[in-house]
Order: sequence, then structure tokens, then C-alpha cells
Amino acid sequence: MLKLLKSATLLAALLLPAAALAGEEAQPPAKLDEAKLIAVLKSDAPQFEKAEACRLLQRCATKEAVPALAALLADEKLSHMARYALEPLTDPSAAEALRAALGKVKGRLLAGVVTSLGVRRDAKAIDALAKLLTDADTDVAQAAARALGSIGTAEAATALEAAVAKAPAARQVAFCEGLLRAAEALAAAGKKDLALGAYDILRALKPAPQQVRMGALRGVILTRGDEGLPLLLEAVRGNDGILVRAATRAAMELPGPAVVKALADELGKLPAENQILVTFVLGKRADAAAVPALLALAKKGEAAARLAAIRALPEIGSGTAAQGLLELMSDADADVAAAARDALTALESAEVDAALAAMLTGGDAKTRAAAIEMLGQRRVLGAMPALLKAAGDADEAVRIASIKCLGQSAGAAEFPALVGLLCKAKSAPELQAAEAALSAVCQRESLPGGGAVVILKAVYGALPDGPSADVTKKVAELMKGGATSVDASNANFGDPCNGIAKKFRIEFSVNGVPQTKTVNENDTVTLAGRITPPEFVDTMCAAMANAPTPAKLALMRALRSAGGPKALDAIRKATADADDEIKNVALSVLCDWPTPDALPDITKLAKTSKDARVKILSLRGWLRLIPLQEATVEEKLAALKEAMGMAERPEEKRLALAASSAIPAVESLALVVPYLSDKGLKEEAGAAVVAIAEKLVGSRPAEVGNALRKVVEETTNAQTAKRAKTLLRQAGGPPPKKR
Amino acid sequence: MRTRREFLTTAAGAAALAPAVIRSTALGKDGAVAPNDRIIAGGIGLRGRGMGDLGWMLPEKDVQFVAICDAQRSARENAKKFVDQRYGNTDCKAYPEVREFLAERTDIDAILMATGDRWHALMSIWAMRAGKDVYTEKPSCMTIAEGQAVVATAKRFGRVYQTGTQRLSEGNHVFCFEMAKSGRLGKVHTAYAHIAPWDDAYMRHEWLPAQPEPPKEEVDWDAWLGPCPWRPFNASYIRGGWRGHYDFHTSCIGEWGAHTFAQAQAGLDMVHTSPVEYEYVNNTTADGMVTHFANGVKLILSRGNKYWHGSCGERFDGEKGWVAAADGYSKPDVSSPALMADFRKIVRDYMARTQRPMNHMRNLLDCVRSRRLTVANPEVMYRSMTTVHAANICMWLKRSLKFDPVKAEFVNDDEANRLRSRAMRAPYTY
Repeated sequence: MLKLLKSATLLAALLLPAAALAGEEAQPPAKLDEAKLIAVLKSDAPQFEKAEACRLLQRCATKEAVPALAALLADEKLSHMARYALEPLTDPSAAEALRAALGKVKGRLLAGVVTSLGVRRDAKAIDALAKLLTDADTDVAQAAARALGSIGTAEAATALEAAVAKAPAARQVAFCEGLLRAAEALAAAGKKDLALGAYDILRALKPAPQQVRMGALRGVILTRGDEGLPLLLEAVRGNDGILVRAATRAAMELPGPAVVKALADELGKLPAENQILVTFVLGKRADAAAVPALLALAKKGEAAARLAAIRALPEIGSGTAAQGLLELMSDADADVAAAARDALTALESAEVDAALAAMLTGGDAKTRAAAIEMLGQRRVLGAMPALLKAAGDADEAVRIASIKCLGQSAGAAEFPALVGLLCKAKSAPELQAAEAALSAVCQRESLPGGGAVVILKAVYGALPDGPSADVTKKVAELMKGGATSVDASNANFGDPCNGIAKKFRIEFSVNGVPQTKTVNENDTVTLAGRITPPEFVDTMCAAMANAPTPAKLALMRALRSAGGPKALDAIRKATADADDEIKNVALSVLCDWPTPDALPDITKLAKTSKDARVKILSLRGWLRLIPLQEATVEEKLAALKEAMGMAERPEEKRLALAASSAIPAVESLALVVPYLSDKGLKEEAGAAVVAIAEKLVGSRPAEVGNALRKVVEETTNAQTAKRAKTLLRQAGGPPPKKR
Repeated sequence: MRTRREFLTTAAGAAALAPAVIRSTALGKDGAVAPNDRIIAGGIGLRGRGMGDLGWMLPEKDVQFVAICDAQRSARENAKKFVDQRYGNTDCKAYPEVREFLAERTDIDAILMATGDRWHALMSIWAMRAGKDVYTEKPSCMTIAEGQAVVATAKRFGRVYQTGTQRLSEGNHVFCFEMAKSGRLGKVHTAYAHIAPWDDAYMRHEWLPAQPEPPKEEVDWDAWLGPCPWRPFNASYIRGGWRGHYDFHTSCIGEWGAHTFAQAQAGLDMVHTSPVEYEYVNNTTADGMVTHFANGVKLILSRGNKYWHGSCGERFDGEKGWVAAADGYSKPDVSSPALMADFRKIVRDYMARTQRPMNHMRNLLDCVRSRRLTVANPEVMYRSMTTVHAANICMWLKRSLKFDPVKAEFVNDDEANRLRSRAMRAPYTY
């Protein structure tokens, strides 16, 4: 441990026992003893102690400490620390001490004293500082110029004005900065003429660094205020890039509305590149008075300037831009149209929403459709009644746009009306839009927490290859306790690999549907399924009774999206409908049902249907759902064998092989391996063997090895072969025969 | 005839304001930018974090990084090697002395700076005074006065400046700011900001034992100390051991508050002011310090993970819910999943409305061309760092303080006011 340079003397002087708290024993106390600190300065204490005393005197020094501090200003080692205490001390004696030191110190120490006088804005030091502008030491001269600028009186400015033109190149920026500072101070003190005089000297300086030219023009514009607008406009009209930049920056700062009006009036007349810079200013000023000029430029100008004008409008946030942006959305230039759409979407204004709503009731069909689209993009919840009304518009495009918009933003309150719109759809595209909208609302409004969740495997650690912990049991406990999501955190699982960023990988099933998710440490995994609100299903089932046939077909498909026993029951009934079209769609929907609760119906159809189409559909549905059901491996395998036995076409056999890969058992391998010899199915069989083997290689290496060797021999798929060989190495045993 | 620098901002043609206005496909093949249209960049004090920033800047196709300056030879050589490898040449120049570097390289438009904290404000001022635009790492000022000087200098010379509070340009945080500002949370009454959990508010005042000073060409110790009080050399300082020392660091509050106060103030729409009251807490870390804005909204300093899962987080509590964001997880934390419904739209709209990308470095480069204000502009830096410094001073003086953000002074507290600035060691002054 490092031995620290502490001083018992100083610590004794500083620390008050009552103030000492755990962890802050070496800290300066809240209350300081000036006399003791002065005593340290006068003693033969080492440099550290005196420096520390100065640091504390920064907080508490009075005029009593000034003599001791002043004595240190000429001390090479402690001059800076003396200034540390003197600089913020408001008593005049501190300034006197610093001024007195000007004639006694040189070099860095002098530059430091000069700087402190500038920080203190000590007007009594002006004459002495002015003399230092010609000091041989460049640091001193530059410090003097900046100090005079900080003092910022008329006298200080006069000294700088006389010096700035004669300044050697190495000192020029410092002298210019001094004069800029002085001009700022004079302007702030209301001495505008003097400030303008200083700025004019800097503007006339040639050559002058670009930053000085910018600063001088900015200063003169801001000082003149609105009277500076002609100068600002002159710069903005010109082709001197430095001055254009300076003018636009000044325009951002200039108070009052006149600058916006002036720039807006000028905008259309400017060179394109300057127009772009001015659009930034007008956006930043956020004054609606600029909207007409920006829209005019957006409609007619060079491409880049048009885009810049459009992009400035959301920053202004005025609804008066809404109509113009809507028109620009149909501009021939795709970039302009896209920018207008983005701008209108982002424009935060209730006026825009009101303007869009007004457009729904007026304007042509194209305008109404565009307004509807924007209401959807802007997520305007208050527009629901208007949207529902527009869904009954005479124009089909408007109706469809409105239904699509409702699909994006409607909630439970609008769901019955949306079902009604579907039932009243006047065309196939309208019906299609309504069906998609219903499905979207079902998805969006479904609630988490539904479904039977089974945790299969959960691992937390430096995945995939680093240390990790099996946390399956812990996750299962959390889910059993009512959780619907799990945080991938050390708080839940401890830290299996301290200091390494971790991942969380979980295999689980919801209603038998297997899923795998991998997230980073501190992310959250939602494990529960989702339930569509029961009233949605009730509404759709009730509508089925009187809906025209096309609507009934659409409702059945929407019921499939909603899921659940009641929806399934409605479909089941529809499979016996007298109308063949309804019956056929119901059978298709049933065979495509996403969850295993439809398995008994589907199995029965597969075994008994005389209709070839239905037989194929149901067999495919059966094969799809076999691995998803809650059943033992043996039961799943038995069902798979039976279904495979019924498969006559290669398409269904391929599905069967895919299903087998989701049943990780040695018996599955036995079922699949024979197909490796089938020319038409060997690749699907190979992929299935590899998928099963990946889950069994640790527990059944011998059986897995035999199947994998056969895969390597038979497959022509390089990826499958690579995966099989990798697994074979894990399984051990003899290598595959070379072909 | 126009100079190249003028052309950067005003030239006709697609490249002039490329990232801000023109899609990259308009620039030419692969978004390439003609050499004379590129922003010429240089670096100062680039090491760990700074090299990360450099790795962030170099892939930008409209940047040409030409020079590095560092008082420490090994560091400047390392940065030069990194740049040369990236460009496949040996063109990056290395400079040991910063004032010579700034004076000599008048061709450089923008400076990337990642020195220790003690140099951030002064170096930014020097660079801006030399006509450069600046990206600087945080915490960007050691005192309230330094923050004011950065603001004044940037305005005075028309400079573009970005402080490295990069979460102001990250979607998760922007989403939270927009949620808080837009009223979607109802009236926001409290924000929480994360402070570094490994440091104290109280800092070390002692010197480490003196060691022989290395040759100046290896480490220029005087320049390394810069404006800070002199102390003897110890190798620990230059290896990062400067943290925790009063002269060089801004405590656990500044370490992360430089980020998180800016984040909290962005969401509270308080980037142009600072809290007016700071309530002293009787612990060593400032954990739980309550600060009050003039409108009654509270900003509370928090050391642990109570309000977020990760690090460097902020949270906004409103009447209708709360949102929080931090490093370490992929999406914001919300009191109700419904609050996340419009995440993408909210971030997209923010970008359209402000023309600011979700890339902090890109935001600087865009503004170098457009002369717009960056998201972490001097005022944002100054106000959030004022919150840092006022909270620190509150802890050091062990009493609650009132602050006037307009005058930038503590109310009726001379001792606190003296701590708003520190005399700088010449010639390292502004």
C-alpha cells in the first residue's frame, strides 16, 4: 500500500473530531479554522501542507489571510496555490495583493497573476495589464489581452484596440479574443457603440483567422439587434462561407421575431446552399411565421434545399404546415414525398390532428385517404369516431384506408364496429382489409398469461462455450409462483461466471408449441402465451349467424387467429354447414388450427374423410400437431407411426420426418433412419436425424453415433454432413466410412 | 475563391450537407465522399475510452483523421498506429505539445478529445479558440466557471461542440425523454439519476509518494497536470490512478452524473437550467440526495439499481406511470407494457423532428457541416455539470444549498460560491 504524504500537523489543525464520519476521515471538515491555516502558511511546513492550506483558504480566507498568501505569490512552488485562495476572495485586499505582485514576478507566475486579475475583473489593473501586452513573454502578453477582455471596460477595450492590429501572428488570436470579450462585456453593460466599435475593428482586420471573422460578425449582429438584420441578410446572400455560417449562427441567437420574418422573406432568393443553412435556422427558431416560406421552398427549389425545407417543419411544430405537407406527399420526387410523410408523422401539433380530421370530411377522395393514412401513422386515438365514419365513405379507397388505419390503432371499444364493417364489406379488397384489421386487433389486444407453459431447459452463463448453470428448476419455480416473465439476472440465478457478460437460453413450450429464446443478461423473457379477449370471440361468433357468406369465411379465418376453445367450437360447427363453400373453408381452418386442442377432430378427419383434399389437409395438420401435444414420447411416436403409415405422397412423408425431429428419442431415430436410403427423402431424414442427435448425443452417444454415420454416408447436403460430423466427434466411436 | 472549410458547409452539390440532408446513396458509390469534402479531424489524449471514440469516428466516410497529440509518447504512438492501420498508410502525424499542435494544424476542422477530466474544458476552449469544432469526453468541466467558459467560447467563435454524453443519442434513452416530455406519463414529478456506485462524493486530497519524473519526451508531467495544482510525479496517476483525487476528478457524482443528469434534465426539459435546491444527505456517496428544480420537480441521485436494471440509468416518474433506461438491457423499463406500444414511432419522430441521428458521433459530424447545435451542446453540458458541481459542493460543505441558475451562484453562501471556480496554473489557463 502506498504511503501517503499526510501531515499530522495539518490534519490536527483541520479535522474536527465531531465531523469525522466513516470513510471521510481524511476529508476537510465542514467548518474551517482560518487562523490555523494561516499559521501553516507561516510555518516551515512542507509544500504539500502549505498547498493544502491554500486550498482550504479558498473557502474561508478573509483579509486576515491576504498577507500570508501574498507572500507566496512570488514562490515558484506555491504561487499558484496562493492565487487559488486569493482569486475568489472578494475583499479588495486580495486584488491589491495580486496587483502588487505584477511587478515582482515573471514568466508563468506573472501569467498566472494576470489571469487571476482578469477573472476578478479588476479595473484598477488595466494600466499595468496594458503595458504587459508588449511583454516579451508571449504567455504573459496573451494572458494580459484576455484579462483585459474579461475586465471589459471602455479603457480595457481601448488598450486592446490599439494593440490588436499590431499583434504578432503568434499573439493575434489571443488579442482578438481579448477584444471580443471586451466587446461582449461592453454590450452587456449597455455600451453598444463602444462594443460595435470593437467589433468593427475586428471585422476590418486582415488577414484574420476564420473564427475571429465569425465572432466579429456574430457580435456586431447581436449587438445591433434588429438593426443588424441588413448586415445579417447581406452575409446570408453572399458566397463567403465563413460569414454565411456566422450569420446563421447569430440568427439562432438573435431575440425577437423580426429575424425569422427577414430570413423567411429572403429564403426563396438565396443560393441553394445558403437556403439549406437558413432552413436549419428557421427550424431551430420554431416560429410558425416561417412555414409559408419553407413550404414554398419545399415545393419549388433545388432537390437538397427542398428536403431541408421539409425537414425543418416538424421542428417548428405548427399545424399550418399540415396541408402543404399532405400535398407534398404525392410529389413526383420520391425523396420529397417520403420526407413530407416523415415530417407530417413527426409534427407534434394538435392542429395537425384537427386539420387531418377536417380533411376527412372535405376534399377529394385522394386527400381523404391520405389524411386517414396519416392519422394512423400519428396514432391519433381521438380520431376513432371519424375513422369509423370514414370506413363507410362512398369511395372504396377511402373505406379501405380507414379500415387499415383502424387495424393499426383500434382497440376493444372499436372491435364490434370493425366486425360490422367486415360484414358490410362491399368488395373483396375491402373484405380482405377488414379481415386483416380484425386479426391485427386480436393480436394486439391479446393479454399475456394464457396458455400452458412447460419449461424444458434453461441455462444462464457465458454462452455458448463459457461457464454456465442449469437454471431449469429455478425458472420452473418462478413460473409456478405466478410469473409470466423471467429476468435474466444474477438476482434470479446467481453469477456462474463472475465478471463475464452472460446470456440466458431457455427452451419452453406454450400450449405444446415449443420455443427457444436467448437473451442478454438483464433482459426479460416473456414465457406465457397470450389470450384473445373472450368478448372478441363472442362478437365474431355472433356475427357469423347473419353474415353473408364471404364475411363468414373471413370471420372463420379471423377466429383461427383468435384461437381458444370457443372459436374452435364455432369452426367445428361450421364444418357441418349446409353451404359447401362455408363447410370447405371451415375444414381448411380446422386442419390449419394452430394448437393441439384441434387434434381429435383433425385425426378423425384424417382417418375417416372420403374427400381426398380434406384427407391430405387433415393428415398434414395431424403431422404438424403431433409433436406439440401434451403426451408421452411413446404416445407421440405411436401417433407419428400411424400418420406416416397413411402418408402416400412425398410431401406428407417429408412433414412426418420434420415432425419426428421434434420428438427427441432413440425410437424416433429408429423411425427415421430407414428413410436415409430413400433417394427422394434422404435429405429430410438426414436433417431429422441430426436434429434428434443434437438433443441425445450426451445421453445416448452409441445410438446417435450409428445413425449419424449413416447420415454422413448418405447425405449430399454439406451443412447436414458438417453438423453430423461435429456431433459424431462428441459421440465418439469409429469414424464414418469414406465414400 | 472559397476555402475547403467554407465548402464543407456551403458548397453546392449533394455532398455539402450530406448526412444531415442528403441520403448516402446520393453521395456516390458506397456513399464515398470526395477527399476535399471530408471533415479533417485530429485527436488529443486518446487512450482507453478515447480509442473507443476513435473507433467510432474512423468508419465515418466523410472524416479523414490526420493527427494525434498526447503528452505521453506511448499513448500518441498507440493512437497513430491504430489510425495508420485503419487507413493502410503512415500519414497520421503525432505531436507531443498541444499548443504547437493546434497552432500548426490549421487544416483540422474537428478535434476528438479524451484526456483526463482535468483537461476537458480547457482543451476544448483552446481548440475552439483555434477555430476547431470539438467532441470531448465527459465530465466536461471541473468547475461551474469552466462550464460557463466553454459556453462563452463556443458562442464567441461560432464553434460546434459535443460532449460525450452519448446516451442522449440512444433510442432507449430518447424514448424515455420523449415519454416524459410529451405528457404520456402525465405530469412528471420525479426523476432519478444513477451515480457511480464504486466511488465516493468525498475525494482524496493527499499526494501519492514522489517518484522520479520520466523524461519529458516520454511523459510531459507538467503538461499532464495542466491547470491543476502541482504535485510530484507518481506513475499511478498516468495509469488512470488520477480518479478519486480532488484535483483531477469530479467524484462519483460527476463520473456518471455527467451522463445521467444530462439524461434526466433532457427528459424533464430542463437542459437550460439546473436544480435550485440541493438537500445534503448524511452519507459518503450522495446516494439519495434530493434536488429540486424551480418548478417543483425533483431529481434524486441514486447509487444502486433500484430504479433500473443496468448502469448509467435514469428514470422518470409521472402520474400515469414511469419509464427508465440504462445500459445493460435491450429495451427501456416501463411501468406498463402499453407504454412501449409506440417505441419505434416515438424515436423515429424525434429523429425527424430534431434531425438528430441515433449516433452521437454522427450528430457531431452532421453539425460540423450544418452548423446546427449538437444534442450535447455546450449549454446542455454546462447545465448538467452545474448540477454535478452543486451536488458535490453540497456534500463537501455538508449542508443543504440553494442555487440561482440565472446568476449561476449559490444563494447567501459565500463559501459555496468560492468553490464555483479554481484558479488555474499558468500557462494552462483560459
